[in-house]
Amino acid sequence: MLKLRLAELPEGHAEGGAPLAVPVRPGAAVPDRFAAAAAAAGFNPAHFDSTRGEALRLDGALGGRTTWLVGVRPGPMGMEAAGALTAASLAGEEAPGGRRGVIDARGLPPADVAALAIGAGIRAHRLPHYGATPPPALRRLELLVEDVAANEPGIARARAVLRGAGLARDLAAEPANRLTPPLFVERLWELEEHGIEVVVHGRHWLERHGYGGLLAVGRGSAHPPRLVELRWPGHSGAPPVAFVGKGITFDTGGVSIKGAAGMEAMKADMAGAAACAGAILALALRDSPAPAVAVLAIAENMTGADSYRPGDVLRMGSGLTVEVVDTDAEGRLVLADALHHARGLGPSAILDLATLTGSIVSALGHHRAGLFGNDDALRDAVMAAGEAVGEPLWPMPIGAGHREVLASEIADLRHCLPPGGGGPGWAGKFLPDACHAAAFLRDFAAPEGAPAIPWAHLDIAGMDLREEGREAGPYPLPPGPSGYGVRLLDRLVEDRFEP
Amino acid sequence: MLDIAFAKPTLPESGALVLPLTEDDLGGSLVAEWDRLLGGHVARGISAAEFKGRKGQSATLYAPGGGLSRLVLVGLGKRDALDATAAEAAGGAAVAALGKESLAAIDARALSNGGGAAMPADIALGAVLRAWRFDRYRTTEKPEDKPRLTGVKVLCEDPAAAKAEWASRRAVAEGVFLTRELVSEPANILNPPEFADRLRKLEKLGVEVEVFGQKDLEKLGFGSMLCVSQGSAQPPRMVVMRWNGSDQKKKDSKPIAFIGKGVTFDTGGISIKPAGGMEDMKWDMAGAGVVSGLMAALAGRKAKVDVVGLVGLVENMPSGTATRPGDVVTSYSGQTIEVINTDAEGRLVLADVLSYCKKRFDPAFMVNLATLTGAIIVALGNEHAGLFSNDDGLAQRIQDAGKAVGELAWRMPLGDAYDRQIRSDIADMKNVGGGRAGGSITAAQFIQRFVDGCPWAHLDIAGVAWSGKDSATVPKGATAWGVRLLDRMVADHHEGRAVAAQPAPEPAEEPAALVTGADSASPATLSEGTPASEPLVPTPDAVTRPAEAAAPVPRAPRRPATRRPRR
Repeated sequence: MLKLRLAELPEGHAEGGAPLAVPVRPGAAVPDRFAAAAAAAGFNPAHFDSTRGEALRLDGALGGRTTWLVGVRPGPMGMEAAGALTAASLAGEEAPGGRRGVIDARGLPPADVAALAIGAGIRAHRLPHYGATPPPALRRLELLVEDVAANEPGIARARAVLRGAGLARDLAAEPANRLTPPLFVERLWELEEHGIEVVVHGRHWLERHGYGGLLAVGRGSAHPPRLVELRWPGHSGAPPVAFVGKGITFDTGGVSIKGAAGMEAMKADMAGAAACAGAILALALRDSPAPAVAVLAIAENMTGADSYRPGDVLRMGSGLTVEVVDTDAEGRLVLADALHHARGLGPSAILDLATLTGSIVSALGHHRAGLFGNDDALRDAVMAAGEAVGEPLWPMPIGAGHREVLASEIADLRHCLPPGGGGPGWAGKFLPDACHAAAFLRDFAAPEGAPAIPWAHLDIAGMDLREEGREAGPYPLPPGPSGYGVRLLDRLVEDRFEP
Repeated sequence: MLDIAFAKPTLPESGALVLPLTEDDLGGSLVAEWDRLLGGHVARGISAAEFKGRKGQSATLYAPGGGLSRLVLVGLGKRDALDATAAEAAGGAAVAALGKESLAAIDARALSNGGGAAMPADIALGAVLRAWRFDRYRTTEKPEDKPRLTGVKVLCEDPAAAKAEWASRRAVAEGVFLTRELVSEPANILNPPEFADRLRKLEKLGVEVEVFGQKDLEKLGFGSMLCVSQGSAQPPRMVVMRWNGSDQKKKDSKPIAFIGKGVTFDTGGISIKPAGGMEDMKWDMAGAGVVSGLMAALAGRKAKVDVVGLVGLVENMPSGTATRPGDVVTSYSGQTIEVINTDAEGRLVLADVLSYCKKRFDPAFMVNLATLTGAIIVALGNEHAGLFSNDDGLAQRIQDAGKAVGELAWRMPLGDAYDRQIRSDIADMKNVGGGRAGGSITAAQFIQRFVDGCPWAHLDIAGVAWSGKDSATVPKGATAWGVRLLDRMVADHHEGRAVAAQPAPEPAEEPAALVTGADSASPATLSEGTPASEPLVPTPDAVTRPAEAAAPVPRAPRRPATRRPRR
């Protein structure tokens, strides 16, 4: 966790001799006091083009202190990207007293200072590392400003969001042997200290309430499933907004087992639940007036002697019966029960987040998450929040045909189509599985005849992990969980649910 | 095509009668009238069949009285919700329920009561669209097994008005049938030269048709398109169709342009496809088929618009002369392309045809259609085509027209981040992005590099060009998806006035919402880990590429241009 501090001190005294970063905005020239050092290093300052978003290291610019010129590229995420680039640049500096640095943010409006802080904090976050030599990361960052008081609210907000996103990323990065469903729940109990009410439902409770989807998925594992509620009471007295997260701590695929290649990434198949938990933490830390509740469906999908099978028929919490076609489409089963549970909490809106389908990756790649739902106003608000925080989405359809093909011969519906089940010929090999999944979830999030609650479904497969050599997101991060969704939900609550 | 006639309502002497009814018509005067003419059988039949007039419901009563062989009741739903689509669906449902009847009358009055004078023509359109059948190669089918319906008489209050409405619909139906026929033809019959020959027949409708052969295309420098056809024994063709229907003969009015991918068969080439389902690749020319049918429709109904239609026709085969993965080709635009996957050939064809269209015609906008990617089916399924556009207004017009005719398009995103996925290490671009992620979007980005700033929309119709099951107005098989949509868009927005008078085309950039967040900054990656104190070397700007600076790229080997197809 990067420690952020605001200071008004002249830069020469800040943080001892810690390296200094100076953001250079698009169109701005290199400040005069650095131009000489740049020239001394054989570099023509006029060639520094800040719009490329690059960093330039100057030695000896200010006495013995290392100084970085950090280009701010144009565009809404430019300042945040500059913060991230600063953190990455300073991380390599061995400064006395540990890895720390200073950003000269004087002259920037508070929103830009906060964006620098968030970018730096996201980039400097240290994911769990079980080896002897964790990769270097910036530990402390001081932001030089002209008026500490004016900037304090923005930095407080940044700290809250960074802790929320950090929690989500840490959870998603944990290996599945260190984050089984019960261990996941233990981590969630820790949130109580921030005023979050934690309610955990175990297997017996789930059996009593007939949550057949979550129970079936968790049945093959030695670690039983859990349904967790995280309640942030807020203080506006309004009905809560509900976040629903898919929390498959590891997904082998079950009996319909996955291929071995890349299966290790399935430890992050709980990124949706982690993002919901992170968002609740962020709301609590910044003392949001809006009540919110997260419903997390936590299970491990293993092959076992008692695993659920293709062809099984489940009775879900809502009473609907579901024919299982492919045990690797387990996310929608646990979400269905969680969505049903969330409806029972009387929320003003429901948003579910899940690393749900490979199909959405084929559709949108690693630059946008898929957005489905039943409410245009909520869709637009989610789109806007995503754009604002650099976690963009794209609206996707639930067509009549997507639901029709889920008809089952034996149950109320089936949860997916078998591979190649799209009919004869070439086109039948391709299944719009993300749309099918959304159509399936709609039967539980917005059942026909029941009171309508605005609902949005975010298929975040493809957005949850950063990989080496693959461009994604507004700026580069080290490989590992991105925390996608935390900032989006936090922003959405601020835009739409706070009075 | 079925013979269509319009007449005042009378009791037919024989054959079948179709009675479309809304839920509100049950117990009304229309039912009472037929009940009286048919001796009370209609009301009893309605009640015995539990016919409620619901949308999609139908019931057949045999020998209902008079000389009639059968009476078909077709539900229209609520009267308030009647629209052209409902009327067409009723016409289609009627045909589907007529069995072996040869003559039928459809009473369209329930429709005109609710929806206006055009409805009888709409119901006729639905009937002919559904009755179409491609049976050229069924040589042993017994006559009694063939459908016998030859004509439909639509009964309405104002036959003359309905007939006037019918003329334009008939032309559109002819266009749809041309498309369906082209798409249905097997690839050993419909090779590129044969396809071009068939398009010459559009001259009879007043369409100017120009055909470009191998030598012409070589001379033009169509290196991208020709690298697809070079593995095939069939020579390529590009056909340019022009319909000048506007009254405005002003020199400065720009035409509108439609471009189609016409891969008459796609084996995948050296990157060969798996055998399962490969037979469907005969319809990999559906984009070109739709453009051809659209030109026929517009010319057939004498649309007041100047329009050009271009199709790039090739066959993609593996052979000793075929293009290999890794080959680099130079497109007509001068941009070089590294061919990573020879099965991503449609975009190679479109690239040259789009560049050529832009350069020669400078159109007000270009719309291209292509069965381009399987990924669009993974994204959307088969209810929506994928719609990519650099122009919000054009995209909206396409979506609106699609809703009106029941051919839906769903907007998909574009953005710089996707564009960066097709950067090549050796050429200006490669023809596929890395991996499956966002495969339809990277394909659209590839095509966008050849539109040269022209307002443009790309319709990926891989999921909608062919249907595995019957729908109300489209029998299973070739759907001709797009002919009606684009005809409708032209009719609603681009006729009867100079195209130049249209609202100024919006800037050819993505709308802000499409760009935001997608333009990730890889420059930051470049700078990380750069040796300290070293000035950063400016990275070459990937957008402005020197067209001819690349090392000379060998042209496709010359080969006989006039080899005739085996027929």
